Amino acid sequence: MRSGFILLISAAWGIIGCSPPAAGAGRELVTALTGKFPPFSYYDRQGKLAGFDVDVSREIARRLHRKSKLIATEWDGILAGLLAKKYDAIIGSMAITPERCKRVNFSIPYYNSGAQLFVRRDNPGRIYSLDECAGCRIAVVLGETYQRFLEKNYPDIKVVTFKSTVEIFEMLEQKRISGFVTDKLVGCWQIKQTKRPFVPVGGMLYTERIGIPVRKERVELLKQINRAVSAMRADGTMKKIYRRYFGTDVSSVRQSGEMTFAVKAGKLLKGFAVTLMIAFSSILIGFLLAVPAGVLLMHAGGIWLIPNLAVRWFVDVIRGTPVLIQLLFVWLGLGFRPFSAAIVTLGICAMAYMAEAVRSGLLSVDPGQNLAAKALGLPAVDRFRFVIWPQAFRVMLPPLMNSVVALIKDTALVSVISIPELIREAQSIISVTFEPRIYYLIAALLFFIVTFPLMKLSGKIERNIKARGFQYDQG
Amino acid sequence: MIRVDNLSYTYGNGVQALRNITAVFPREHIFAIMGRSGSGKTTLLNCIARFLRPQQGAVFWEKTNILDLDEKRFRSILGVVFQRLNLFPHLTVLGNMTLAPRRLRGCSRQSAEAEALEMLDRLGIAELAESYPAQISGGQAQRVAIARGLMLKPKVMLLDEPTSALDARTTSEFAQWLRELKSATSFIVVTHDLSFAGETARNGMFMVGGRIRECGRMEDIFKHVKKEAGTYD
Repeated sequence: MRSGFILLISAAWGIIGCSPPAAGAGRELVTALTGKFPPFSYYDRQGKLAGFDVDVSREIARRLHRKSKLIATEWDGILAGLLAKKYDAIIGSMAITPERCKRVNFSIPYYNSGAQLFVRRDNPGRIYSLDECAGCRIAVVLGETYQRFLEKNYPDIKVVTFKSTVEIFEMLEQKRISGFVTDKLVGCWQIKQTKRPFVPVGGMLYTERIGIPVRKERVELLKQINRAVSAMRADGTMKKIYRRYFGTDVSSVRQSGEMTFAVKAGKLLKGFAVTLMIAFSSILIGFLLAVPAGVLLMHAGGIWLIPNLAVRWFVDVIRGTPVLIQLLFVWLGLGFRPFSAAIVTLGICAMAYMAEAVRSGLLSVDPGQNLAAKALGLPAVDRFRFVIWPQAFRVMLPPLMNSVVALIKDTALVSVISIPELIREAQSIISVTFEPRIYYLIAALLFFIVTFPLMKLSGKIERNIKARGFQYDQG
Repeated sequence: MIRVDNLSYTYGNGVQALRNITAVFPREHIFAIMGRSGSGKTTLLNCIARFLRPQQGAVFWEKTNILDLDEKRFRSILGVVFQRLNLFPHLTVLGNMTLAPRRLRGCSRQSAEAEALEMLDRLGIAELAESYPAQISGGQAQRVAIARGLMLKPKVMLLDEPTSALDARTTSEFAQWLRELKSATSFIVVTHDLSFAGETARNGMFMVGGRIRECGRMEDIFKHVKKEAGTYD
């Protein structure tokens, strides 16, 4: 049900041609999903992954005599992750399309679904089918097949894309879009859960077959999955799982919309802890690397020329490219695990910014200071440690603090490489509660609690330096 | 005793600052090197202090070429106070004075500080011990810079233009202070201020265009210089 436009990204990683260690070679069946696509995958009251796709994954793993391990990751990088061997398969409601079939092999379908147009119940635009939508803003989730379908068949419609249905629901509630296209089952379920005044209009646009993609070379695994899916269909297991989420028997439908307060708080705090852990490890790495880098940046002559140019170019490249791309490159391109990728990328990024601060701090120290220390007979290491560095450090502290604050905020980006940090945990709560205002506000507040004292501290240090009359005396 | 033998120095831009200088600096309390700006006196100081390497000739301490001395030994013989002093602004006066003894001689903090306080007391500036360089006056900073150099007990100390940032009254106060300073160290003062030189030194040399014009007792030097230039202030 979601599109193949990420194939472009996948192809890019394919060209880079890395071979990280194969996932799931042991006894685990590692499968990916988003965790933000209820009722197919979402976080339940206890904060655990649940949903139709989750149950199917576990059942297939059981039938393959392997332990099921689920990885929650962003939809727009999910196929690239499969190709980069981050997991064995995707059991996350992925539609079988010709483009995707060029890159991966799909299992036989485990369910069918279809696209549906939804509008507000009061229907201010008097829209009853897609044919009446010319000039209207119709929303789809970024990366879903509906986007291409609409652009191809309804060129007059203004297609707008969002990260998830949470944002789309808010947009339609505020009448900033006319309607949205999503899977009929999912759409109806989400509307019911959130009690939104939205209704499906017109018939199903088309039917999609939903399969399980694996990498082309995993022929044996594909056979095993096909056998398991056929058996689950034949013996009624699939129907049982289906009924659990969409069946008429209300007593068996799991309510997901009510995470307890404790679970929500736990998720947010855990995410916050992960954010802080990543931020402070990267800051530490960044600073330790920035000191030698900053020193190298000061020396451009003689034997220092080559290392100086190397550091100069490296720092410029890091500063001149988006952190998001660096993160994706290290994660998918170089095959790092998510946590190492986050700490390495943000650490190096911090290094690049801090190295400039270190360099300008060192440059601010009068060369006469070094000469005077030399005249006192102090060796080079002592001159740096006791004379140059303490003076330079006071000057570089304010810009260093700015880098630290910027880096803490940049950790928000690591949610895209499937790390359960604050933003991602907030999004997983929002995907079942549909309350973006509250939870994004809480996340922002938590960030602010950390960054605000740092900013205040930075200002205080700056004033202290000025108050101390930190200028060079002219005897 | 410092001896300079046939010393020449030419800067990268082709300016020849020293031309075949030969001189002996006798061990006495204060010796003055005088001359106008550009006469080569600071270049001579930098060659003696090993901050510049002469293209020709050599500087000797007793009978050894100073370039053959190791750094630690050389700095225990010769101290320098720069025109701009270069006190360490992040350290107190005491911190400035104790850094080198602690790092080079391995003195404990207590013994180094006791020594520094004794030195400050002897120089009559004990009240500055806990001040930072930015908090003291130009004349005081000049004395602190000398005190810092004296902590290493050098045999000779070079002072580069010590009065360039002092007003007339402070200059004469400083001259008196330097004259009365009780120390085993000899001072070589590089200055363009003839009256200051006359107040402090008994012997000296006068440089013109990278050469020594006059050398000897100050009265003789002044006589010749005044006769020749007339207007030198």
